[in-house]
Amino acid sequence: MLALVAMQMVVFNYIHLFGYATPLPFVYLLLLFPLGTDRWSILLWGFVCGLLCDITSLSLGVGMAAMTLVAFIQPPLLQLMIPKDAVEDMQPGYDTMGFWGYFRYAFLLTFIFVIAYFLFQVFNFFHPLDFLISMLSSFVLTFFFCLTFEAIRYKLSTQR
Amino acid sequence: MRSLLEILAKYYHWLIFIMLEVVSFVLLFQFNHYQSSVWLTTANVVVGRIDAWERSLLNYMTLGQVNQQLTRRNLYLEQNNEALTRQLMLLTHDSTRTELLQAQRLQGVDLLPAEVVTNSVLRKNNWMTVSAGALDGVQPEMGVVCGTGIVGIVLITSDHYSIVTPLLNGNSSVSCRLRGSSYIGFLRWDGRSPLYCILDDIPRHARFKIGDIVETSGHGSTFPAGLFVGRVSAIENSDDGLSYRLRVHLGMDFSRMQHVSIVRQTFQQELRDLGAKADSLNNEEQ
Repeated sequence: MLALVAMQMVVFNYIHLFGYATPLPFVYLLLLFPLGTDRWSILLWGFVCGLLCDITSLSLGVGMAAMTLVAFIQPPLLQLMIPKDAVEDMQPGYDTMGFWGYFRYAFLLTFIFVIAYFLFQVFNFFHPLDFLISMLSSFVLTFFFCLTFEAIRYKLSTQR
Repeated sequence: MRSLLEILAKYYHWLIFIMLEVVSFVLLFQFNHYQSSVWLTTANVVVGRIDAWERSLLNYMTLGQVNQQLTRRNLYLEQNNEALTRQLMLLTHDSTRTELLQAQRLQGVDLLPAEVVTNSVLRKNNWMTVSAGALDGVQPEMGVVCGTGIVGIVLITSDHYSIVTPLLNGNSSVSCRLRGSSYIGFLRWDGRSPLYCILDDIPRHARFKIGDIVETSGHGSTFPAGLFVGRVSAIENSDDGLSYRLRVHLGMDFSRMQHVSIVRQTFQQELRDLGAKADSLNNEEQ
């Protein structure tokens, strides 16, 4: 979590492609929680991660609310998407869910997170087109980074 | 209690989620200007609506009491208004209300408007010429009125003009009565002030007071009943002491009269002919 927060603070907060796209890959933390984890602990982890990222980006409350929401829906969503032969404490990843399985799981969670984040940040619909462009471009970047992190983790885990 | 604890144990993550979201939103609204302003505005609107609803409910529950207070106040104001209006009319002789009431009483009566061509008020017997004559439908003994009272009776006519015997003429005599009673007298001029006439032959048992209205009685065919003439300003005894002589403050100022109307009563000619026949019968008997 600290690594994700540090990267967000040092690198990703300064990326604004064409003034619209901002990557928010700290949501990757919530994609890692295995099946069967206590829901209160996922909620707390998501809350604290969101708090730390908000402090670094000076927009207190936005990331916290979005991360808490995604932390709440992560367990039932994972339950829906796991393969039928999955073990009780299965950790979501390319190896356990397959690439497309994980792709769908990460797509949904990341999409919900980015929508919630931008809704809480903008808080109005005066410029719907700008909002849509920002949201979609940020989602694409965020999702790309999440898949990249997962690929790195998968590579490191297979090398061991 | 046990089932409540069981429910809490089963859905504890909902409580934690709600609690953490509330904390997030509190920080969101507290540390972000735009979100804070939206929150305040919305909160104001919601609180305002709830207050308005509460107020309307409380108002509805106290309607009975408010109604009683309003009724009492209304009654007091009406009485006050009535008293003040009477007082004002006595003090200022405001002609606006008189004109309005006069117009109401003359509704349905055929009126011919005319202008005063010549007029006098200082002679013992004054005369008035008006700009309407026989070709306009004017006939002798038609009544002449103005907005605030009666003027006189047509004496003679030419094609385009008529001579009127005004109230300010020693030969004038108009049948009048006190409003609200059936006591009839005859209005004459004593040749003194152009603002006052004398109402004679009011019986001694009549009840009236200073300020009472004098109006036309409707006897004869000249004036419709109920037209405003003036107000009682003084009470005297007649020469023989058998009746009252009332001094009437006239409702119009003859010295400033410009616009008058001639009253064309529908059955005036018929009444006049009957009167003439009755007079001739009396003469034959005598």
